[in-house]
Amino acid sequence: MKWRIVCCMALAAAIWTPAAYADGGDLFRQKCGSCHQKGGQAPPVNPADKAAVVWEKFFDRNRHTVDLSAALNEAELKSVVEYLQKFAADSDRPETAAIPK
Amino acid sequence: MKKYLLTAGALLLWSGTALAGGAETVTMPAEAYKAIMEKLDALQKRVDVLEEGGKAAPAPAPAAAVSRAEYDKLSKDIGNIYDTLDEVETKTLRDRINWGAELRTRVDNYKLSELGPSDVQIKPNNAYMPGVAGSFPMELVPMDGDDNDDNNWTNRVRLNMDAKINDTLSFHGRMAVYKNWGDSDYTTTSLYNDLNRVHRPEASGVKLDRAYIDWVPDFIVPVAVTVGRHPSTEGPPLEYKENRQRQSTYPGLLFDTENDGIVVTFGLERYTGLKNAGWRFAYGKGYHSDSDDSSSFSFFDDENDASDTNMYATFLESEIPCLDNSLMVLSYAHMTELPSSFLGSDSPINVGDMDLYGIHMQASNFLNSRFDIFASWAANKSDGNGKFVDFSPYVGTAIPTMGLLSTDGTEDRTGSSIFAGLRYTVPFTPLRDPKIGFEYNHGSKYWMSMTMASTEMFNKLATRGDAYEFYYIQPVNENLFFRAGYTFIDYAYTGSGSHLGQPAETDAELDNYYLLMDVRF
Repeated sequence: MKWRIVCCMALAAAIWTPAAYADGGDLFRQKCGSCHQKGGQAPPVNPADKAAVVWEKFFDRNRHTVDLSAALNEAELKSVVEYLQKFAADSDRPETAAIPK
Repeated sequence: MKKYLLTAGALLLWSGTALAGGAETVTMPAEAYKAIMEKLDALQKRVDVLEEGGKAAPAPAPAAAVSRAEYDKLSKDIGNIYDTLDEVETKTLRDRINWGAELRTRVDNYKLSELGPSDVQIKPNNAYMPGVAGSFPMELVPMDGDDNDDNNWTNRVRLNMDAKINDTLSFHGRMAVYKNWGDSDYTTTSLYNDLNRVHRPEASGVKLDRAYIDWVPDFIVPVAVTVGRHPSTEGPPLEYKENRQRQSTYPGLLFDTENDGIVVTFGLERYTGLKNAGWRFAYGKGYHSDSDDSSSFSFFDDENDASDTNMYATFLESEIPCLDNSLMVLSYAHMTELPSSFLGSDSPINVGDMDLYGIHMQASNFLNSRFDIFASWAANKSDGNGKFVDFSPYVGTAIPTMGLLSTDGTEDRTGSSIFAGLRYTVPFTPLRDPKIGFEYNHGSKYWMSMTMASTEMFNKLATRGDAYEFYYIQPVNENLFFRAGYTFIDYAYTGSGSHLGQPAETDAELDNYYLLMDVRF
């Protein structure tokens, strides 16, 4: 019985942590969170603040008030946007507290 | 033309590089410069198109001096507009379900007359005292003479839900409250069960009428899968009287109950050339056996109870060739192990299987005559398993036992019914084109349909005898209409709508006058 439970847990962990948005989540919390934190230079932001398509438009329109190129390269920014969309307001799992408000 | 282009280009360049008077210089980022050049290209193309079309190009906008303060304000305003758009768009995308509502208020005048010795009711005995000799849980109530209710008022509220989940998935649901005025108690009769509880007035609680998804995958043949609590009530042709669009997959004469199940529909239009042709295969449960007591494992089968009633059905439908706005449906349904009671908590037994067959045809605005017409025929065949229910120990009186459409369930029975009618839309604009309709149905001695959730309390289409109905629909606006009607039923045999017991001859008649108001939005 125990080996079944271990196998199920391993399988669940493998399914739960695809690299794309796990990396994006880490980047978001580390790099975006350095400014977007409670009492920080910018107000806390979370994926569930906007719908997925709105996040896409936000970055397409270059609406981030600070130039991000020094903090994130193109691939990293893409990964962060994927993470934001994955857990956006209209996703199956809207993330409201990746960065505590 | 070129000079217009140059002027516009200069204006755009100026807007990014210098302000009027040259008092202040704006450094232009490479991206902004690129954007301007793209706009110039687009403008050039537009000019080319206009010139080719021989049309005069519009006059260029006059150059205007914009101060730095105004420029900053405009930028800030645009940012605010984007923020607002983001909020609105996010909120819109989160509103996944579109809601609609219906309210029906109805008043009925019922009169049941000419009741005879064969017309009896078995009811719970409210004075029952367990353990007391001569006290029985049920009582046999003869229905001699007349019975009536001269003003029965009801409210029915429905909340309709729809959502497009993605390109292949959609969700539909309906929750409802249906109650008598001034009455909010639960009804315990076995005639109210999972097949019709949302369609019978009861307490003021909200119940689930429908909740299902339609999955239309990309497949080699057109296919749709419908899973959940189905749109299985008020099917064709009942939409004529209900003054709305088709509400169910199944023809109303054969199947009008609340039902949980799975339906797979194959689209046949591209193969047959018949419009809206499709072939459906359905599986559902009419009765689920579980331990409805306080057992710790109430989700298990109740071994002392009836087995599940499974329903397997297939429906072939299309538009009638050469007849616009028409529908033809061929139906077959097989139900296994019908329980003696669908209620469940009264420990039913299985009494046998039943087959239902049917053909239905209808045409809206038949040959542009403003008549909507329909005709249905259906038949049933029972396969009793020899088991029966004996109520004598519960009522204290020797009464005939009840098997499947017989006293002992050893004989197989065949019944049939026809249902026909028409509706005419009166071309009278001052009254907003009211509608008048007539319906007739006749059921044989052993006719039994799955129409427990009919909109009429007395399950009109299950009648063993003749039923006539006239109605008048008065639209008020696109959301509101009134309907007034009269129904007369001349029962020939008892037990209409029930699969239990041997039908007996009766002279009973039912008169029903009604008026209802329907609001949908």
